[in-house]
Amino acid sequence: MAHTTIITAPEKVTPVIKKEQYFSLSFVLSRVLNSGVIMSIEKNESELKGLEKSIGKLTQSKYVSLFNSYTGAVHAALWGQDIVHGSLTRLEEASEQDQRFVSWLGVGLVTDSEVSQGFEKVSVTWGNLPRIEQELQPKLRQSPVLVLDFTELGFGPCASISVNDESVWTKAERLKIFGAFDLKTMWTQEEAEPDIQPGAQFNYRLSPLVAACVKLSLLRRNSSHED
Amino acid sequence: MKTDFIRKPLSLPSEAWINEQLAYYGGPAVIPEDSRKTTFPSITKEDIVQMLVSIQQSPEDVIDEFTEKYRSYVGANYAIATASGTSSLHLALVGVGVQPGDEVIVPAFTFIATAQAIVAAKAIPVFVDIDPLTYNLNPALVEQAITARTRVIMPVHVHGLPADLAQLRALADKHQLRLVEDASHAHSASIGGQLCGSIGDGAGQSLMADKNFPVGGEGGIAFFKEWEDYERALSFLQETGIDYRMSWIAAAFGISQLDRLPFYDAIRARNASYLTNILAQTKLFKGPHVPEGHKHSYNMYRIKLDPEAAGLGDLPDYQVKEAIQELASSEGVFAREWQNVPIPGHLPFQNRKGFGRGYPFTLSERKDFGYHIDHFPETLNMLRSTLTICRELRSPIEYERIAAYALAFQKIDANPSIIRELVLQNTAAKKSYERDARLG
Repeated sequence: MAHTTIITAPEKVTPVIKKEQYFSLSFVLSRVLNSGVIMSIEKNESELKGLEKSIGKLTQSKYVSLFNSYTGAVHAALWGQDIVHGSLTRLEEASEQDQRFVSWLGVGLVTDSEVSQGFEKVSVTWGNLPRIEQELQPKLRQSPVLVLDFTELGFGPCASISVNDESVWTKAERLKIFGAFDLKTMWTQEEAEPDIQPGAQFNYRLSPLVAACVKLSLLRRNSSHED
Repeated sequence: MKTDFIRKPLSLPSEAWINEQLAYYGGPAVIPEDSRKTTFPSITKEDIVQMLVSIQQSPEDVIDEFTEKYRSYVGANYAIATASGTSSLHLALVGVGVQPGDEVIVPAFTFIATAQAIVAAKAIPVFVDIDPLTYNLNPALVEQAITARTRVIMPVHVHGLPADLAQLRALADKHQLRLVEDASHAHSASIGGQLCGSIGDGAGQSLMADKNFPVGGEGGIAFFKEWEDYERALSFLQETGIDYRMSWIAAAFGISQLDRLPFYDAIRARNASYLTNILAQTKLFKGPHVPEGHKHSYNMYRIKLDPEAAGLGDLPDYQVKEAIQELASSEGVFAREWQNVPIPGHLPFQNRKGFGRGYPFTLSERKDFGYHIDHFPETLNMLRSTLTICRELRSPIEYERIAAYALAFQKIDANPSIIRELVLQNTAAKKSYERDARLG
């Protein structure tokens, strides 16, 4: 028998947008929609690249990779460093979600300080956006991979990893079915570098509209009075 | 402001174009270079207004509204909106009860995401060859692939033609397996009036921008027939912490775009029918086969080449295909391979790294996973002798454009001697599956 009501997950993890944030969101969205940014895959590589560049500047990192969820970025942070099924890692202040997800990946979480930290993370919100540089400063040196979670800005799940090691970035990109690395090299997948050949792949591709909204929020972070 | 408006109108097509010199040799292209752009989806004031309405609601409410609206359209019992088609397939599989190490039967010809979703579910993809007429999973070969570890049969409605679900259901019931549809190409496609996505025990569907029903960028949806399966999928999200949520922006676009889907469908069906009728008048080309009672959604349109009928049967089929592809491209028709290698031949399945250290492939007792491409002769044959057009049937493709497309194929058909000439010049051409695998 068909039920017509939609049941949502018992534990909602979506951050609730507060009423006072509606105007910020509306402002960003109307700016993005009026900039001609649309959702076509062919035309929006520039939006994703633009966001990568903004995050790169913010985190002082050479390489940035975007994801359509925080857990996608966590997966990439670990995979990029060869922390894979059967490996161990350490996380400072691992949330319950971190613990469950890392465990699902088959990676063991330990507290042993001899084990290097898997990644460092920062959640970007409307509250900390104006002072995000200061917030990031102490984090930049603690781990070779920084995960930024933009989900709480309210445009939808969105996260990134920032790294300086090209090989970490390359492997992280190969985790994505539609990763930039794959798009560029889809005719030449006979790899000269066997280490970066893909394993399990996920579609962690970020919607260009969400990317455009996050990018604009970052670019306008010190112009909060404008709205 | 950037615009998507196509400012240059196409000329009204004329049959005289068929007799012009081929563009490859300097004649006028049927579709001039500056008129080849197509736009999709149409974004109208309804989309903008919907966005303004949605922004005042909670993200969950927007996503739930979209999910319910589309679930009801498809006629599925339960639905979960997701971030992508791949994640929807993953959820559908775990929902119907796939456990690590289980085997899932899947066609060798699909997009890589179908098979990667199986690996994401920590299961083992077992590939089966396609039916030579429909290019869908061949039910006659499925039974031979069933083992004690098989849990699911996962057909793909490839390009939008529904797979033979009646036969596959009979097999699934006989062997107590579950049936999961990959309906990523098959929005509004149906069998006997029942929409793809609502027929199997579970289904996954991509809603990305290039699909017949696009949401705002990337998205997907998982469908379930049984309450228990739906609940299992929700529990899986809870237990693993995986964030597969769709962005509410994408969902908001989905709400307004869904009202336009019947229009998109009608235009595609009209264009496909027009093209199929014209191709039937040529020697070289033939449109897709659609079984009685099946409604094709034409996310892609695969053209079968018949070199023999055009007096080119003595030449290697793949070389004829490559020559035609080159001629079509010069005329402004982007006819392509889409996939060029059976999915088991792609690196992730050849190497089987999985989640690392070979997991979940290490759960299998198999010595041979059957991933050598020679196991799939019908897929190889199809790759050698067909070409696909992907975007050109979609709304708002105007009459002038689809007619010009048809004329381009007629123009090539009128020149078999040029095709022969090109083949003889390009003897170095390789079979597509001897080159490196591409994604799509």
